Amino acid sequence: MTSLNTNNMTNKDLIAKLNNLKKISPDSAWLSSNRELLLSQVSNSGAENLSYWKNLQINLSSAFKTAAQPAYALVAFILILLTGSLTSAEFLATSKPNDSLYIARIISEQVKLSTTFNTDARDRLASQFASEHAQDISAVLANPEFNTEENKDRVAVLSDSFNKEVDTVKNRITKLAASSAVKNSEVNNNSELLTIADSAKDQDGIQLLENNPGSNPLADKTFEQGQSGVEIYSTSSSDLSENKIETIKVEAVEDVAESLNPTSTLVNASSTVASSTEASDEVIKILDEAKKLFDAKDYDQALNKLKEVDQIIK
Amino acid sequence: MAINFVRKFKSRQILGRLKSHDKEAFIKVYDASVDDIYRFVYFKIGHKEEAKDLTSMIFLKAWNHIQSNTLEDAKTLRALLYKIARNTIIDYYRESGNKLTASLDDEDHKIEIVDDAPAPAARLDQATDVDLIKRQLPLLKEEYREVIIMKFINDLSLEEIADISGKTKGNVRVLLHRALNALRELVEKEGRL
Repeated sequence: MTSLNTNNMTNKDLIAKLNNLKKISPDSAWLSSNRELLLSQVSNSGAENLSYWKNLQINLSSAFKTAAQPAYALVAFILILLTGSLTSAEFLATSKPNDSLYIARIISEQVKLSTTFNTDARDRLASQFASEHAQDISAVLANPEFNTEENKDRVAVLSDSFNKEVDTVKNRITKLAASSAVKNSEVNNNSELLTIADSAKDQDGIQLLENNPGSNPLADKTFEQGQSGVEIYSTSSSDLSENKIETIKVEAVEDVAESLNPTSTLVNASSTVASSTEASDEVIKILDEAKKLFDAKDYDQALNKLKEVDQIIK
Repeated sequence: MAINFVRKFKSRQILGRLKSHDKEAFIKVYDASVDDIYRFVYFKIGHKEEAKDLTSMIFLKAWNHIQSNTLEDAKTLRALLYKIARNTIIDYYRESGNKLTASLDDEDHKIEIVDDAPAPAARLDQATDVDLIKRQLPLLKEEYREVIIMKFINDLSLEEIADISGKTKGNVRVLLHRALNALRELVEKEGRL
């Protein structure tokens, strides 16, 4: 307690002392007598006892007003959020690295990236953002009004950022190409499996056609030459349940094989691997050129190169 | 969240009932705010008995006001009581030609302190604190004393004080800062004597 130490007292101590004065209250005898007096005065001046229905009406109205306010506030908040996000996205996208709003743009991009859960899509988006940042830096440095001796510190920082952004694009593009290659090799393996399954299906089909007519008298009745091998069992009795299961298996394999179309997928996959690797090499090559141009302070040419990269990425 | 919802619902309910001239609702308001209004008046005028009379008068005036006017929202109910209290005190000064000359530590009007501190030493410390502040409060400027009572003794928000005193929140904040500094100086001066 700081009661007797009043020297060097802080406002906090003083407030604590003031809080003790809250305990001062009128005596209880006066409180109750005054209450009675007030009640009688109020009763004599047109006060009413409310009816049950009036009370109910007041309660319902109070409950509605209390609940409606937060509901309105929530709706207003959502509307503001939506409008804000729609209008600010375009506005922020035009901000440059020397603007005060640039940091807001970076944050908005980070949010977009962190809400993109597909790894490839995230890499593509990150490379696109980094490429745009590099372009913006080039555009800012190409401006002679900004790129002056006075701003040399900021120019140095931006140059450093440019190199980082270009490296980011390279890394992401390399990752994308690698991921694409892995996926395509998986598709190749699947295609091989499907081809094996397809040939197995054919063999089974022949076997079914060869074995069943002779082995099962019921099947002989329903056998129809010229129709698809699997259909002969669709009308047969429950004795053929084993054959039915095999038929269903064959149908399922056939469906998968048709949907994936292994032959065409294989061709597409090979060409995609080749094209994605080529595109990745191409992008890296252009980026290296852009970097060289940037280092040589040919910002306009560097910007053009980066635009090429942007088009390839998109 | 739920507590806040219930509190808001109850204040709206009281307001609705007051608008319909329900005496029970008014008595509830009296029970909830009589201590605060009494303290406000007591620290402003410095006399216990007169503070009681004025407090009674303030509640009656408030009832008459509610009868003849429309209350807009629950926030104004508390502000209304303080506004009526301020005007009643001004009328009191005007009628009696009185200024605040009596000290709050007047022996004839000793304040009853409801003290729940367990230890006797702590109780003694607290009583000393209360006495020290009580002696210095009347020496403050009227507007300083008023904001200190409302903010630190009766726990009103800056918004409510601004509404009652007709000032902006910024002005009230500045006034509070100055009032605290002035009171601290007085208390420190008293402590050195």
